[in-house]
Amino acid sequence: MKLPLMRRIAQTAFLCLLVAIPILNEREISFITGTLYSMSIGPVDITDPLSGMQVIMLTLSATRALVVSMLIPILITFVLGRTFCSWLCPQNLFSEISDILSRKVLRQRRALVPPTPIPRWGILALVIVGSLVLGFPLASLISAPGIISLQISTAVFEGTVGLETGLVAFILLAEFFVLRRFWCKYVCGVGTVLGFFRCGKTLKVTFREDHERKCIRCGACSRACQFDLDPVKGKLYPLCHNCGDCIAACAKSTNGKNPLQLRF
Amino acid sequence: MSKRFLRPPGARDERHFQASCIRCNKCLVICPYRSVRTGTLFDGFTNMGTPIIDPRRVPCYLCMKCPPVCPSGALDATLTDKRDVRMGIAVIDKKTCYAWQGTLCRSCYEICPLFDEAIAMDDALRPVIDEKKCVGCGMCENVCPADPSAIIVKPKGEK
Repeated sequence: MKLPLMRRIAQTAFLCLLVAIPILNEREISFITGTLYSMSIGPVDITDPLSGMQVIMLTLSATRALVVSMLIPILITFVLGRTFCSWLCPQNLFSEISDILSRKVLRQRRALVPPTPIPRWGILALVIVGSLVLGFPLASLISAPGIISLQISTAVFEGTVGLETGLVAFILLAEFFVLRRFWCKYVCGVGTVLGFFRCGKTLKVTFREDHERKCIRCGACSRACQFDLDPVKGKLYPLCHNCGDCIAACAKSTNGKNPLQLRF
Repeated sequence: MSKRFLRPPGARDERHFQASCIRCNKCLVICPYRSVRTGTLFDGFTNMGTPIIDPRRVPCYLCMKCPPVCPSGALDATLTDKRDVRMGIAVIDKKTCYAWQGTLCRSCYEICPLFDEAIAMDDALRPVIDEKKCVGCGMCENVCPADPSAIIVKPKGEK
């Protein structure tokens, strides 16, 4: 099966899971509970490292359960990179759909700003300062995947959605009309924090030519990249979230003899 | 300081609670009585997404299921005895309380989960609250026949 199709299936299945969890919980089937801020699967707790990190900063203490629950996503990210963003995150799925529609309808292609991680580091720093000033984890209110899963849960349990939903709508409209994919690329704090957890052995998009696999300079990879990165030039991280679109494009152009591959 | 709300049992003091609640909704989901609702912007910016209990709508029935599911320590996971809960303290408005105005009424006295302890009846059959025993669950506020309720739980820390 091809990489983009597998990814789309994973994203859709995960969104269905986020809808199914509160519906099942409401019928008292509670093997999995929670939202993308924190989720329990049976006895195992998983907490968003951004949310957990903020609690530790604000209270200057941490329960052991909190730290342990943050380790699971951190370890997964160390091994697989930011695959949560590309393969599971519901905001990324919505943004990708909005981007596909935008390209069909408005025919816009390029971003206005070149890819750089500096805005997202600055925004994360602002969010942390804001949290310390206001005394509560501000990132919870601007974590798009958290908002989406929390709003699904409140819609099921209370029959309403909060004003936070407006942020998701704003992101999608802004991305559709103005700044292509700006949220995942420049803003999202969840992704920024996950981006810190990498090492030399983390799964990454690798450009490696040999006698079999030769780059034909077609440029399909950078055209396929939603963040306007150039995989041949390298320097993809921390922006790249291992979606694999460039690899699929490369494989298509080179008839399966793609020099671009996901490697550890 | 914005208005204080009744929080689920085991909640730390409000400042600590605000700092450590990550708005994950697990306490709301586990609550079998739907006592917990999600805070909205109308409850104040810093309360958005946090768990709030409005006893007049649904009080806390002290089943103690929510403290252990809290992942971030906003609710004290080690709290298991409902007698140790301190969500707030019930206060009676003697001007509107039927019993204090001379009509026979034992609604709050009868419903109190710490029966004859947190709410006792004095010699004139009027309810009196023991502030040391009251856990602040709000069951009394929920059943009070006066409208608005003559007995109201003041959230912990509210003057």
